[in-house]
Amino acid sequence: MTNAFHLDGLEVPFQEGQTILQAALAAGRYIPHLCWHPDLGPHGSCRLCTVVISGRPFSSCTQPAMKGQAVACRTPELNGMRKAIMQMLFVEGNHHCPSCEKSGNCRLQATAYDLGMQDSHFPHQFPKRERDMSHPDVFLDRDRCIRCERCVRASRIYDGKDVFGVHGRGMHSTLAVNSPSGLLADSQIAPEDRSIQACPTGALMAKRVGFVVPIGERVYDREPISVLELRKYAAEEVHHG
Amino acid sequence: MKPAAAPSIQEILEPILLRYGGRPDLLLQILIAVQKKLSCVPPAAIAALAERLAIPLVRVQGVVSFYAFLSTEFQGDYAIYLSDNITDQMLGSRELAAHLCGKLGVSLGQVRADGRVSVRFTSCTGMCDQGPAGLINFRPVTRLTRDRMERIADLVNARVPMEDWPGELFQVETAMRRSDVVFRRPLKPGEGLRASLERGGEILSTWAEDLAPSDARKHHLERGGAETLKEIYKSGLRGRGGAGFKTGIKWQSVRGASDPERYVLCNADEGEPGTFKDRVLLTDYADMVFEGMTICGHAVGARKGILYVRQEYAYLEEHLEGVLARRREAGLLGENILDSALDFDIGIHFGAGAYICGMESAMIKSIEGRRGIPRQRWPLPVHHGYRRKPTVVNNVETFAAAAVISARGGEWYARNGTAESSGTKLFCVSGDCERPGIYEYPWGVTVREVLRDCGALEAQGVQVGGPSGTLINAGDFDREISFEDLSSVGTMMVFAKQRDLFDAVRNYAQFFRHESCGLCTSCRIGTTLLANYVEKFAKGYGSPVDLEEMQGIGQIMKTMSHCGLGQTASLHISDSIAKFPSIWAGRMRTTEFIPAFDLDGALAEARSLTGRTDADAHLPHPVPQEA
Ligand SMILES: Cc1cc2nc3c(=O)[nH]c(=O)nc-3n(C[C@H](O)[C@H](O)[C@H](O)COP(=O)(O)O)c2cc1C
Ligand code: SF4
Ligand code: FES
Repeated sequence: MTNAFHLDGLEVPFQEGQTILQAALAAGRYIPHLCWHPDLGPHGSCRLCTVVISGRPFSSCTQPAMKGQAVACRTPELNGMRKAIMQMLFVEGNHHCPSCEKSGNCRLQATAYDLGMQDSHFPHQFPKRERDMSHPDVFLDRDRCIRCERCVRASRIYDGKDVFGVHGRGMHSTLAVNSPSGLLADSQIAPEDRSIQACPTGALMAKRVGFVVPIGERVYDREPISVLELRKYAAEEVHHG
Repeated sequence: MKPAAAPSIQEILEPILLRYGGRPDLLLQILIAVQKKLSCVPPAAIAALAERLAIPLVRVQGVVSFYAFLSTEFQGDYAIYLSDNITDQMLGSRELAAHLCGKLGVSLGQVRADGRVSVRFTSCTGMCDQGPAGLINFRPVTRLTRDRMERIADLVNARVPMEDWPGELFQVETAMRRSDVVFRRPLKPGEGLRASLERGGEILSTWAEDLAPSDARKHHLERGGAETLKEIYKSGLRGRGGAGFKTGIKWQSVRGASDPERYVLCNADEGEPGTFKDRVLLTDYADMVFEGMTICGHAVGARKGILYVRQEYAYLEEHLEGVLARRREAGLLGENILDSALDFDIGIHFGAGAYICGMESAMIKSIEGRRGIPRQRWPLPVHHGYRRKPTVVNNVETFAAAAVISARGGEWYARNGTAESSGTKLFCVSGDCERPGIYEYPWGVTVREVLRDCGALEAQGVQVGGPSGTLINAGDFDREISFEDLSSVGTMMVFAKQRDLFDAVRNYAQFFRHESCGLCTSCRIGTTLLANYVEKFAKGYGSPVDLEEMQGIGQIMKTMSHCGLGQTASLHISDSIAKFPSIWAGRMRTTEFIPAFDLDGALAEARSLTGRTDADAHLPHPVPQEA
């Protein structure tokens, strides 16, 4: 193990080709992240995983680990900005955690708690977005979408379907469905698709399973996401890259 | 408009698909052609293209919806876009737009009921020295006045075909106001290229003993390229597109790549408001630009170059293709250039209205026919660029400088400018001055000198480098324009004493909100939050707390954003708070916080539903109104 960098002063070993985020998680060090997924690779859009190397910020999910680097991650300043990023995501959409089917299983909510977010701070934007209930077994509630494109990638890579894409630009960008009508009902989606599992929020869900496990007993109700994630990676002994 | 005999979508698409060889990677170019033909890309065309090009429907729709000049809805027989840069506004563009709309009987942003015409605003069209400007069916119109607006309205109302419009409406000026060592004596076609090839030395007869003739020629080519690269190094040339990266290092990375398939891309997106030097270069010095690209091809071992031009400059297409054709005829492009072993050719791609496409990896995606979303920062374009191959991306002006360096030598070039910023730079001067236009100066010139030369005697501030650059006040006028001090793409928008700089800040905030690509959280949401705060001040609801909020958001955008757009999109806010605090203080009615939420406004819907228009249906105004 000669390859190593320093994360907040502690040594983290890495293998050639690993990103900083992959190496950190494999070494049992949590870096907050939302759009990255171990099987889908990086997207670089949520910016939660931003770290500072030699005074310059980088997203750790896309930045290759390099020997001897000093990486600053859990500094008060960066943690504050991560919390602000979460608050931005919350005011951008219409999130109603208390009544959401995903509550407790939601990475967005869990990450917000983990970063100590207690209010939304910024003015709510109250966007008007379309909800797609057309499909008998799957729904898409764009109010809860954070444009991480995990579903887009999962559908392409694992489901081989290209069910999703993004339309528009900037704040007007929206998740779009690949079908003649633009509706899920006409698309190739199926409730068991990886794209649905990949959604970190309650935007894309299978119908009628939202409340199978009661609120309070769900994954992130029991344990903070930072703890759970690390245990998961340790158990899986995932090899990335 | 469309009688029964109108051609079907298929009939319209066929020749366009044929022209572009049915290549899915040319989707954007195909969509632009459809837009120009039909004044829209109708859903039927999108569906047909998705099928013909075997691209998922959602992706074709995604491309159409990304670019400002593509639309699924019909934009009228005459699609009029008025440049909305602050310099246009200062020349009265907003009033002129209202006048034009009045004469046409159309509301801004809408198509007239008979489908004849639409008028809308667009980001800076790069004519700031001759504004107010605009585009009519993608042809530029300049120096708009009430009189010109009336003539335009008459032509539209009389349905005169664009070809028959008076040429003076479309006149674009390009004369340089000041030239220095480079443009006082511009290159002749072939001058820089010949020098580059000659650096290979004589093809020695002794080589012929060891090498086959074709290998000897290759060896000669290699040597020349390596020597030219040395000259670029010696010149100290740094990129003119903004970041100022050393060109020699960039070229070396591509030259040293193991993959033999390499590309040279020239960035003529020029989206930074207030910037128009690349337009002038492409108009009057296109040979120098193409020559620089060809020399780059020689130095890095690439055989193909692409010029990516913003749609606002698409009117130059014929001219540019003409220059390319002439160069091919003259043996300066194509196979065996100047009888050497060098093969290199250049194609032209157009953008469709997106500032982000000037960002190099977004430009690559756009050239590949996709949404112009920046790629991950790693790997770099020099390793994985166009088609995932090693790629040089340089600005138009950088290539022109490279051609000059090849012709006159790196040392000669480095004699001009400062230690860290060698050579000369083109400045785009606009705003409140007597002589707006292009000025060539050696790097290191002070702001004051430029202001004096352009006749800006009453300036209170200058936006240096465009909205993403630096806003300075008179206290900074002795600073130098250079990478060491005030770095700039050359843009200088001048604001005279009587101007309210708040209007400029507001214009920039709206620009960034409009142009954020939407990929990353901090930029997508940050630009919107900032623009909303600026509006809050515009309405007089601002408070000191809001100023702090804006600076906090700006800091987050600077640190957390993925690309240069988000990283710089808040600088005008922090600069203006620091340098022109009064524009903010003057818009605060109180030192306490006032919510941005307008309770009375929120009741408007309820009022209209219940048909109430009386005073009692309104809440008292939270801000004391002045008489
Ligand atoms: C939002 C954004 C817009 C940009 N626009 C341009 C542009 O219009 N023209 C340009 O040459 N470079 C632009 N750049 C810089 C390019 O990414 C790139 O650095 C440059 O083209 C490299 O060429 P150079 O080294 O010759 O400057 C832009 C960068 C960003 C982040
Ligand atoms: S900083 Fe803005 S423009 Fe750049 S990637 Fe992020 S959202 Fe897109
Ligand atoms: S996890 Fe790295 S940017 Fe989202």
